[in-house]
Amino acid sequence: MVEPGHATHIAFRNVTVRYGAKAALQDITLAIPRHQIFGIIGPANSGKTTLLKCINRTIDFVPGVKVEGEVLVDGENVFSVRNVYDLRRQIGMVFPLPVGLPLGVYDNVAYAPRMAGVRDRAELDALVEKCLRQAALWDEVKDRMQMLGTKLSGGQQQRLTIARALSHRPKILCLDEFSIAVDPVTTMKIEDVLLELKREMTIVLVTNLVQQARRLADHVAFLNSSQLVDVGPADVIFSERPGNPMTFDYVRGLFG
Amino acid sequence: MSHSMKRTLSVISESLVEWAIRICGWSAILFVFAIFFFVFREAVPVLFTQLDLREFFTSVNWRPDSRIRPQFGILALLAGTASVTILAMVISVPAGFAAAIYLSEFCGRKPRETLKIVIEFLAAIPSVVWGFIGYMVLNPIIIWATGAPIGINILNGAIILALMSVPIIMSVGEDALKAVPDGYREAAVALGASRWQIVYKVLLPAAKNGLLAAALLGVGRAVGETMAVLMATGHSVQIPHSFLDPVRTLTATIAAELGEAVEGGTHYRVLFVIGSLLMIISLVVNLTADLVVKGIRGKQNA
Amino acid sequence: MPELFDRAFQYFIAPAGSDERGDGTAARPFQSLERAAALIVDNHRKELPAVKVLSGGDEVELVCLERPGFGSPLRKQPRFRYFVAPDEVALAGDGTEAAPWPDLESAMAGVLQIHAGRQLRAGDRIQLTRREVFTAGIIERRKVAVDRLAKVVLAAVTAGLVLPLLAILSYLFTKAWPVLSWRFLIENPQNYMTAGGIWAPLVGTLYLVAISLAIAAPIGVLAGVYLNEYAGDNWLTRLVNLAVVNLAGVPSIVHALFGVGAFVLFAGFGRSVMAASATLAIMTLPVIITSTREALAAVPQSFREACWNMGASRWQTIRTIVLPNSIGGILTGVILQVSRAAGETAPILFTGAVFYVAVPDRGLASIFPYSLNDRCMALSYHLFTISTQVTGVSEALQYGTAVVLFGLVLMVNLVSITVRVYLRSRKRW
Repeated sequence: MVEPGHATHIAFRNVTVRYGAKAALQDITLAIPRHQIFGIIGPANSGKTTLLKCINRTIDFVPGVKVEGEVLVDGENVFSVRNVYDLRRQIGMVFPLPVGLPLGVYDNVAYAPRMAGVRDRAELDALVEKCLRQAALWDEVKDRMQMLGTKLSGGQQQRLTIARALSHRPKILCLDEFSIAVDPVTTMKIEDVLLELKREMTIVLVTNLVQQARRLADHVAFLNSSQLVDVGPADVIFSERPGNPMTFDYVRGLFG
Repeated sequence: MSHSMKRTLSVISESLVEWAIRICGWSAILFVFAIFFFVFREAVPVLFTQLDLREFFTSVNWRPDSRIRPQFGILALLAGTASVTILAMVISVPAGFAAAIYLSEFCGRKPRETLKIVIEFLAAIPSVVWGFIGYMVLNPIIIWATGAPIGINILNGAIILALMSVPIIMSVGEDALKAVPDGYREAAVALGASRWQIVYKVLLPAAKNGLLAAALLGVGRAVGETMAVLMATGHSVQIPHSFLDPVRTLTATIAAELGEAVEGGTHYRVLFVIGSLLMIISLVVNLTADLVVKGIRGKQNA
Repeated sequence: MPELFDRAFQYFIAPAGSDERGDGTAARPFQSLERAAALIVDNHRKELPAVKVLSGGDEVELVCLERPGFGSPLRKQPRFRYFVAPDEVALAGDGTEAAPWPDLESAMAGVLQIHAGRQLRAGDRIQLTRREVFTAGIIERRKVAVDRLAKVVLAAVTAGLVLPLLAILSYLFTKAWPVLSWRFLIENPQNYMTAGGIWAPLVGTLYLVAISLAIAAPIGVLAGVYLNEYAGDNWLTRLVNLAVVNLAGVPSIVHALFGVGAFVLFAGFGRSVMAASATLAIMTLPVIITSTREALAAVPQSFREACWNMGASRWQTIRTIVLPNSIGGILTGVILQVSRAAGETAPILFTGAVFYVAVPDRGLASIFPYSLNDRCMALSYHLFTISTQVTGVSEALQYGTAVVLFGLVLMVNLVSITVRVYLRSRKRW
């Protein structure tokens, strides 16, 4: 169910993903609206990460994986797209564990644009600054642009990852439990960033922190044991009467 | 160049590079299997025809050049290889283990780094230099120390081989000891164990697979060694009666005789058979060592 | 008065029958055990003013003198030795090490009880040791002794391996000294190799190493990249890995046989620099592949995933992140194989190395004397030849050749170690 005024950006249609005999996702059908924060909640091992990996097709790197169904971005099935690298450039991905590449901070953020062929120094400078500002990291690193990304603190590295994700101007930003390894202050900063960013892009936020989903999400899907249990607007999911009673139990912390 | 042309060019060059990498990968795989192939290829023609395998393994008569009746019994050569290797292992395995224990548990940080570099240098000494040492330096020492008529014999070869295989026993052994989880050590210390007790009662049993692998790799090195034994053990094809007897090993036989054997002739091909045998032995030893090591890894993950 | 930081407190007692009221000093010893006991307890009470409260390891010693002022010959061992427990232990003991007296007072009472009937003789000493909380008992002391012994034995064995070697190597160097000079390196062997230098074999070795490296390094590194970055985890890859790892242990003479079978005969190169270099290349290939894979595997997977998620291809990721951060390890592996190729004799024995080849003494042709089809001399084979096959070669010449070969190999290894150490200091994550 998608609210009027927010067209569907990403759609899953009967998607089943198997690693060998085990099914990581079973028959998932959902629609992610444009320019909103779409939260995905659920206990561990429920398939949330797999779902994200399908969107930018990094599921391809998992050995022995079988995917059925369609994942549509702007109406086009990602699994039959011509240039998968182009697809990945349209999608930004942030992982649970912060990753700073062993390059300078500047080069970290300039990596993707350089891959795309941008050579002009002034253009790169501007892009790097913009992304770092958007990721709320600029003030802390503006005098240390040559510092190795691996030497930053965890919270800074996570924001650096976001800046990197923004550097290839994605239309979709996916975050997979981004706050696990990050301190509360940085988490709050990033959450503010996300609320800003949703004006320009669609944000898919996987989280096991129900409170975080409450704070940020406009629309929520609840996954449990590789199945889609419930999906709907945030105020419905977090209310007394969500679509599925199991949702209520999970949200109140009765399991997971 | 337009942007899309640049893009296409980069995509093409990318694919080219990836193909080059793939080709190298496959050709390396090819070479690796080729080694087996070409050695067996030269050996096969004689294997089931002119070579009596029973005589091969059980006879001490190695007379490949005889005009009347060439004989290809390698028992004496096997005895040569075995005697030198066994004596070498008797020396090098305990010494190597002792050094590995010292390095891993008793040594301070600075001496350890220095020692490891020294050991690395020792491992790098070419085998012909080792053979030279055996032939020129150890030879007179053995004559002086034991009163034997010649100094190039099993003892000489064994000492040289021992010194050559100690570095690998030490380094693999040290890895095995280091691989024992710190939790074991901590638990032992909490129970009041001294360092030696930790080594003797906890580490050695826990690392025994890795140590066995280290010993096996040392054996592999010793069995496969050519130049050092060629120069240090002598040329006598006989079953030895004492450690002061000269012998000939399988490897030295090939090295000494291939040059004179007629290409394609029986002698020549039998030498290849010996080579195949050596390859099989070293493969078995290495595979066993591999499996033994994987055994621990499997167990530890369980 | 005993000082505050003393650990051993000595008091003196007169043998018997002295009427002096002593205070325990050597000049005025105690006249009886009872008086001694009382004063000692006073001196070391927990409450002030005490001389010193006994702590772990402290000893109180009562020495029996012959006469006041007379130091008596001290016997080595104290005749009577008792123990006082640390404060925390409240159990009543009997003064032995295992079950010490709970405090100094009961200790003195115990001493009095024990020595009630017996007379102290001159020279007797009564020693009270205040145990540390964790004092070594017999078992602990034995452990420490065994430990020390183990350390000494193991260190001795290790030294026994290393030192004789260093001795041998210095011996080699000393015997080679007369001959070592720049001329030795540049001059060709003369007079049926009984004189002159080692230029021709040296150049030959450099040729063989350079050509085999030019073949093996690119193929090996790229193959390593393929196996670690591209190949999936299937039975074929695992088989290949197994084969590569085990090939590293193949005897060197088998490499010679392979070289003869594959390059001299099958490929038709005949005995030549080409065949010998190719044989050396195949010998070093498996190890280059393995060490490349290890160097690549040391780069964390998270870096690769970060790049893939930004839309980089596998090769772009390898080119920009993986290779630059593993090049050191790769280089180290390749350099080590260079030293191996320079030192090996067996693989080149029948594939291209030769007893003697006349090499020009001067000019460009002396630097590039061999073509790919020629046979060549090589330093390792040369050493074998002049020490076992040729008579009349001076000892210095033989030792000199050995030292040069050995020195060459060592230098290359030193380069590799330097690279490794430099890299470790520049760790980027």
